[in-house]
Amino acid sequence: MTNHPSRGDRPVEPLVFEKHVAGMCGVDFPPLDVPETPTPDSLQGCGVELPSIGQHDVMAHYTHLSDRNFSVDGNFYPLGSCTMKHNPRINEWAAALPGFACLHPLQDDDCIQGALRLLYETRTMLEEISGLHEVSLQPAAGAHGEFTALKVIRAFFADHGQSQRTVVLAPDTAHGTNPASCTMCGATVKQVRTINGHTDLDHLREVIAEVGPENVAAFMITNPSTAGLFDPSIKEMAEIVHGAGAKVYLDGANMNALLGRVKPSDFGADAMHYNTHKTFSTPHGGGGPGSGPIAVTEELAPYLPVPQVMMADDGSFYLDRDREKSIGKVRSFIGQFGVLVRCWTYINACGAEGLRHVAETAVLNANYLAVRLQDVYDMPYFDPEKGAYCAHEFVSVPRSLLDKGVTLIDIAKRMIDFGVHPPTMHWPVHDCLMVEPTETESKQALDSFVEVMLQIAAEIDSDIESVKNAPLVSDISRADEVGAARKPVLVWKD
Amino acid sequence: MDYTQITEAQLDEMLTTIGIDHVDRLFDVIPESIRCKEGLDISPPQSELELQRSLAEMASHNIGPHNMACFMGCGAYDHFYPVLIDQLISRGEFLTSYTPYQAEASQGTLQGFFEFQTQISRLAGLDIANASLYDGATAVSEAAILAVNTTRRHTVLVASTIHPEYLAVLQTCLADLHVNITLLPSTDGRVSPETVRQHMCSDVAAVIVQSPNIWGQIEDWGGCFEVAHEDAKTLAIAVFNPIASGLLKTPGECGADLAAGEGQPLGNALNLGGPYLGLLAAKEKFVRKMPGRLVGMTTDEDGRRVFCLTLQTREQHIRGAKATSNVCTNQGLMAMRATMFMTTVGKEGLAEMASQCWHKAHYLAEQITALDGWELAFDGGFFNEFTVNCPVDVTEIVNTGKERGVLVGVAANGRRMRKLSSGNELIIAVTEKRTRHEMDALVSLLKELSS
Repeated sequence: MTNHPSRGDRPVEPLVFEKHVAGMCGVDFPPLDVPETPTPDSLQGCGVELPSIGQHDVMAHYTHLSDRNFSVDGNFYPLGSCTMKHNPRINEWAAALPGFACLHPLQDDDCIQGALRLLYETRTMLEEISGLHEVSLQPAAGAHGEFTALKVIRAFFADHGQSQRTVVLAPDTAHGTNPASCTMCGATVKQVRTINGHTDLDHLREVIAEVGPENVAAFMITNPSTAGLFDPSIKEMAEIVHGAGAKVYLDGANMNALLGRVKPSDFGADAMHYNTHKTFSTPHGGGGPGSGPIAVTEELAPYLPVPQVMMADDGSFYLDRDREKSIGKVRSFIGQFGVLVRCWTYINACGAEGLRHVAETAVLNANYLAVRLQDVYDMPYFDPEKGAYCAHEFVSVPRSLLDKGVTLIDIAKRMIDFGVHPPTMHWPVHDCLMVEPTETESKQALDSFVEVMLQIAAEIDSDIESVKNAPLVSDISRADEVGAARKPVLVWKD
Repeated sequence: MDYTQITEAQLDEMLTTIGIDHVDRLFDVIPESIRCKEGLDISPPQSELELQRSLAEMASHNIGPHNMACFMGCGAYDHFYPVLIDQLISRGEFLTSYTPYQAEASQGTLQGFFEFQTQISRLAGLDIANASLYDGATAVSEAAILAVNTTRRHTVLVASTIHPEYLAVLQTCLADLHVNITLLPSTDGRVSPETVRQHMCSDVAAVIVQSPNIWGQIEDWGGCFEVAHEDAKTLAIAVFNPIASGLLKTPGECGADLAAGEGQPLGNALNLGGPYLGLLAAKEKFVRKMPGRLVGMTTDEDGRRVFCLTLQTREQHIRGAKATSNVCTNQGLMAMRATMFMTTVGKEGLAEMASQCWHKAHYLAEQITALDGWELAFDGGFFNEFTVNCPVDVTEIVNTGKERGVLVGVAANGRRMRKLSSGNELIIAVTEKRTRHEMDALVSLLKELSS
């Protein structure tokens, strides 16, 4: 760990287009076993120029690419708000079972009873964890869940003669998806100030008065907040919002800290989404697939999207496609089924006690790291002596290090040299690192991370250039992102 | 197993470091009144062995294309893909990485997406493509929203022959955006350019036509889009099947400005409908209006060719309410599967698959229509899917098929198809996976049921 690594000379992996060999094919097909029918010239295209390479070279290409990625499997990956926990392989095994992976989405319910049972059980388990009345498994991702739930809330109000409720409130530290989802629902967003990571209740009241309580549809909150703090006044906040006749929407990104400890219904949430790829260990896959089930109260339930998985009186399962007040469909077919198989598997692996232990350990690990780093990495919200602990993640604004002449990016890129994926940066506040170790890291891994962070801090004093020029050992030096955006090249031209 | 790794002894050590006597102290800030008083009402944990048993048991209660001949299509197709895709995609470096924000730690994913974008742009016959969206339906909606935002117009003309689920999602997505959806009626299972002309007005943001359409019919994209372009602002949006591009004209060849589609046929399992991936390709001029992740080529400080996420100022995490979309993820792993598939089959393999689909579908259609009382519902050309009018109740055919181990196709009048028809049509899809033996068996079954 105390060595100074330097960059290797591994060559750039050529693009598949540069490996193209005309006429090559990585796979073969059985001969055609029926007579040919000519294709009319009027329909025929002039052929698509896909690159062609042999099978072994396909394997080599993607093996080389995989070798150029950090991953949860191979690296400490403390990306705040993303919950990069271990991805159990039993989940992958389950989703790949032919009896799940090969099902056609338009098959009749009687052919897919096992799959529908799994969906129904997932639905009821997510209802139990949220304490809310009904879950829809339709949304494809967290942001899609936000969009869907806001549509549900809007539909509820329209049905109750209050379609003027088009303003959605969100803290100034909200996830970027929150306001973007509002726009897609035809709602406008008003920001509510936060102080020290907590929503300013007075400002919340002010904003509601300003736009008129009768115009507010919802308040979107994240709890623990995006600053990684349990908000002690969450219930009061919900009372203010409910007092205006509006709904409380919980962005469930941080559910990992609440599992089995707090049910969102108990602090007044009317609707929420889960991110199964965060809380329930389904793999992030380099940016997807996610899945964003939503949970809502009984009064909002009639507006949930279709189809809904149901259990009949005889114990069989079916998809209800006719819900009179439903907002309709939000994606094709039945949702991200394969992701939900993994979610079911994880929840059943943990059980009730395990889920609670997950939350405890996630919070423990974050606080342990924060305590060990706080003397060197300034933490604006963390003060254990005053009982101000963090939840499952913490924010550092390392001002005293930055004042020595490095940037946040320098610190982050130096982490790459030590095999650590940089934390979330510049969010929710400028110049911050947001660190979320998750519950699946061992104490040894946490201690190694502390050593890396302390070494980088020491290097800033002793050898600042190695930090400013980082990464030094990754295959590449810093990418010119500004140049990429100025003159975008999104496809290869031979 | 909850996959945590802290022992009791380590817990004590860590609590000492933090300076507390119990982990509950970390939760003290949560008001008593909202803490869970009882444990969750969820079953006790299952060990991995028990999970294997219970999951295998549940999976065994499903029948489908893994143990039946599948002639179902309508937006999800039982195509072949080589085993190497499952093997490669299982690599933890692809499976367990996050969105590649850190270029220096994510070149594998980034280069894979760049190659994907290039391959998709070629299948669409257009200049650029993004790194994927949720599915075909949401890709169509995002394309429509792009058109509305670009043209500042508020009507979209949509062929009534589009997949009913795509239409349903489009209706949900546009409902609060003050956009009027006008359905273009069909004649003989297709929308004619003349029909498009009759519905054109000065407020048309886009004309959306799917081909092959829900009936399997190949639409006259060229004719429809030519009419659309008589208004210089109107965008032509093609909803396409990427496998068809191996044989038929691409959206770009037919004059489309944007192409959206379902990418599942490219190396992805049927998965009961998801996860899939949405494809979106466009002409270059829409690059700054595109929704979703985009990967660009650039250089590092030493001049190496490298890749990074680009044009992020379009996106929600920078632009909030003014973003081009709220999309945060792409379907990363599915896009990676798709690019592995396209690389493995290559130009020749895709052409072979597409032509086998064509020949087999036409063989089966000919055999079925040779039976007494069976006829094609429409006269136009088709690719890998066609519609027949059944001489006997279509539900009975579907049910008997299930008993005999055949998924005979999709009944157009079912609720799954959102009451596409009140008639007695059966939509039959044939991929390269179907053998002559399976097709002949289907023909015998239909003959038996109708005689």
